Amino acid sequence: MNTELPDIKLIGDELPWLKEYRAAGRREFAGQGIPTAKTEAWKYTKPNRFLSMDFIFNPRGGDKLAIPEVNLPFVAYKIYFENGVFISCDDDLPDNIEVLPLIEALMFRPELKNKTGSLADITKYPFAALNAAYLNEGVYIHVKAGVRPDKPIALINHVTAAVRPELYNLHHIVEIDKGASVELVEYYGYTGAPKSSYLVNVVNEIYVAANAALRHYKLQDEAFKAGHLALNAVNVAANGLYKSFCLQKGADLSRNETQVCLAEEGATAEVDAAYIMNGWATLDTTTDIEHLVPHTNSSQLVKGVIGGQAKGVFQGKIRIASNAVKTEGCQLHKAMLLSDEAEIDVKPELEIFADDVKCSHGAACGRLDADQLFYLRSRGIPEAEAKQILIDAYLNDVMAKVDDENIRSWIKLSQGNPLPA
Amino acid sequence: MTEKNHIAITDESGDKYKYGFVTAIEADTVSAGLNADIIRLISRKKGEPDWLLDWRLKAFEFWQGMKEPSWAKLKYDKIDYQSLSYYSAPKQKTAPKSLDEVDKTLLETYDKLGIPLKEQEVLAGVVAVDAVFDSVSVATTYRAKLAEKGVIFCSISEAVREHPGLVQKYLGSVVPYTDNFFACLNSAVFTDGSFVYIPKGVKCPMELSTYFRINARNTGQFERTLIIADDDSYVSYLEGCTAPQRDENQLHAAIVEIVVLNNAEVKYSTVQNWYPGDKDGKGGVYNFVTKRAACRGEKAKVSWTQVETGSAVTWKYPSCVLQGDNSSGEFYSVAITNNRQQADTGTKMIHIGKNTTSKIISKGISAGFSNQTYRGLVKVTPGADNARNYTQCDSLLIGTACGSHTVPYVENRNKTAQLEHEATTSKISDEQLFYCRQRGIGEEEAVSLIVNGFCKEVMQHLPMEFAIEAAKLINISLEGSVG
Repeated sequence: MNTELPDIKLIGDELPWLKEYRAAGRREFAGQGIPTAKTEAWKYTKPNRFLSMDFIFNPRGGDKLAIPEVNLPFVAYKIYFENGVFISCDDDLPDNIEVLPLIEALMFRPELKNKTGSLADITKYPFAALNAAYLNEGVYIHVKAGVRPDKPIALINHVTAAVRPELYNLHHIVEIDKGASVELVEYYGYTGAPKSSYLVNVVNEIYVAANAALRHYKLQDEAFKAGHLALNAVNVAANGLYKSFCLQKGADLSRNETQVCLAEEGATAEVDAAYIMNGWATLDTTTDIEHLVPHTNSSQLVKGVIGGQAKGVFQGKIRIASNAVKTEGCQLHKAMLLSDEAEIDVKPELEIFADDVKCSHGAACGRLDADQLFYLRSRGIPEAEAKQILIDAYLNDVMAKVDDENIRSWIKLSQGNPLPA
Repeated sequence: MTEKNHIAITDESGDKYKYGFVTAIEADTVSAGLNADIIRLISRKKGEPDWLLDWRLKAFEFWQGMKEPSWAKLKYDKIDYQSLSYYSAPKQKTAPKSLDEVDKTLLETYDKLGIPLKEQEVLAGVVAVDAVFDSVSVATTYRAKLAEKGVIFCSISEAVREHPGLVQKYLGSVVPYTDNFFACLNSAVFTDGSFVYIPKGVKCPMELSTYFRINARNTGQFERTLIIADDDSYVSYLEGCTAPQRDENQLHAAIVEIVVLNNAEVKYSTVQNWYPGDKDGKGGVYNFVTKRAACRGEKAKVSWTQVETGSAVTWKYPSCVLQGDNSSGEFYSVAITNNRQQADTGTKMIHIGKNTTSKIISKGISAGFSNQTYRGLVKVTPGADNARNYTQCDSLLIGTACGSHTVPYVENRNKTAQLEHEATTSKISDEQLFYCRQRGIGEEEAVSLIVNGFCKEVMQHLPMEFAIEAAKLINISLEGSVG
């Protein structure tokens, strides 16, 4: 992939700020390049395999696409994308929830200028710069003050046969106003061409206002040669709550990075994740929780099961600013290796500049317990089934972090089997 | 090229750093600068064989192509490597045969430091000492008694002359000169250090100890320690460091290499108390040290214990390479930073052999405006079946302006490995403080009591004399950090 991106004519270029923002994205991406093993933030996940691939960026083409057949086993306000292109949004949305295609929102809501790229720093994240260079697709979701919708909002990106390696660039801006409480589901899947080597590059900028709550669930189930890179940049105001859970189980190289800024007193972040893989993939969960003010809390639980020749990566950072006393941050990562060639790399980091804080992190790495396996086997349970029971039990506590029962059972059903067939 | 230096006595011992005096001693110091000629000169002064000079020159050539690392969480002024002098030795007419021939002023200095070199010959001491003053080793005690057992304990220059086979075989085999920027610089210009060889089946009858002191102005100290523990042997080795108070920064870039063979055990303890600079961060020693032990044999065991209270900047990661099956590595560390001190320290445990175990206990205490980082790596290679690691890093913050950071890396490529890591950061609890105060203990005393309790797990691994000294040092280091 050439880091010198061509200047493609896109809708919205007539707005000077947007044209400049895209140009800045191109400049930054060319300047930073694709990270290598020497880039500390990408020490274990090496996206340099993208270097050899020639991704094609295809802005909204001529064909009008049909609504893809994706069935989610729970009710939701669904927003569909196919191959990174906005298709449709359920029309039963209540008036107090606004959903607009991003480019439309940027053109008609001048106030969104300040909300674009203000959380996702393109000077720091090279793939956010790539995203900015082709800023075009995505949605703007605005949940008005005090609204508590009866159903979750679901963002679905569905990839159909991609013959050539294509780049799907998505940028969502989500605003949750004061006192509102919403569930947001992201689902990335594919049909047809499991061997497609496409790249999905998502940036979410999420603003949680005072006393508001966002529960953010994500299931990444891309095709096994695909790339998936996501940056969730979140700002939480006073007494706000951002709670997220992400299960990564697909793609060849996948990174889900969550950067939360606890900007006002009483803000809370709960960032949980799981990853399950049996293949060759690298699955990366990266978090960066910044406590800027006193009385903020964060907790993280990440669990992984890795088999085959796959690699699991966890990089978690808790940062506490110098005046942010009376804060609590805790983090726990646990991983299980199932095969001889699997690999786990972990880097939990604490950066603390205040004394009156309680911070902890833990990391553990192990395998299936032989005694437990023996116990089940001695009761007549076949080996494969016994292993599956133990893995399900192992992941049970992190799955329990999903508050919504229907979504939890959907995620559990899709978790798949990390054991070799 | 050489010049004589006379340094006036400027004992400013009124301050808290009681080792901050300068000894007026005639020194043979090489003029500042670093080039191949200086290296040849150092090598000639020490009467080294050609292979060693070639090795130094190779290291120097490699070093010129290297960049100073910037990944550590440390901020310091750029070091001008050309303004330093790379060799300074106390002047002596001929090599001393015994302690009686060593310069009196020098011995007095060591007395002030609390190292009774002289008395040791007479009193029934238990520690054999090798003292390194600026760049060269000045005295080694108890040689005769050690020789009886076949233990070689001498300066590395002497070992090069008298045991060239051993030195050539092991020098640079644990830390090659290509390892890192500071290790490479050390390989090019190292002037002295200690050499220890424990023969097969010998349990070293006493603790071995080295005291390092930087005295002369504008010199860097680059010592190199090489310890070889042959099959079934045991040694406990202590290291202490001090330097005078000076306004400018002094550079210390040392290497410690340890080779542990079958069934052998090495215990290495350090109390590092280089001058930390004054309360505004002026002066102090830059301490860039590469320490590594290779457990080459089966059931080999290495244990690093360190108490780090000194230095303006510390960059130090004592590591264990666990090559032999069933070998084990341990790392116990207490690091205390106050005022403007910065420390980036930790360990690396590389599991290569089967059934290897490692344990890391790190206690960090930051006070004042200081910043401290624990940076560690636990790596399990695919062949290291049943590797086991337990890591615990606790940090204590005293005051609102200091920082404490934890950056552990865990890389596991073996499913049978069992790795655990825990880290916590907190402050001294008000309840504990209240409890002590209520019983009439002053605030400062109460803090030092709590801090000593916090460090106890590590301190109990220090040899007795060192443990007492270390406990005192902790109290001194934290003075003025409360209230």
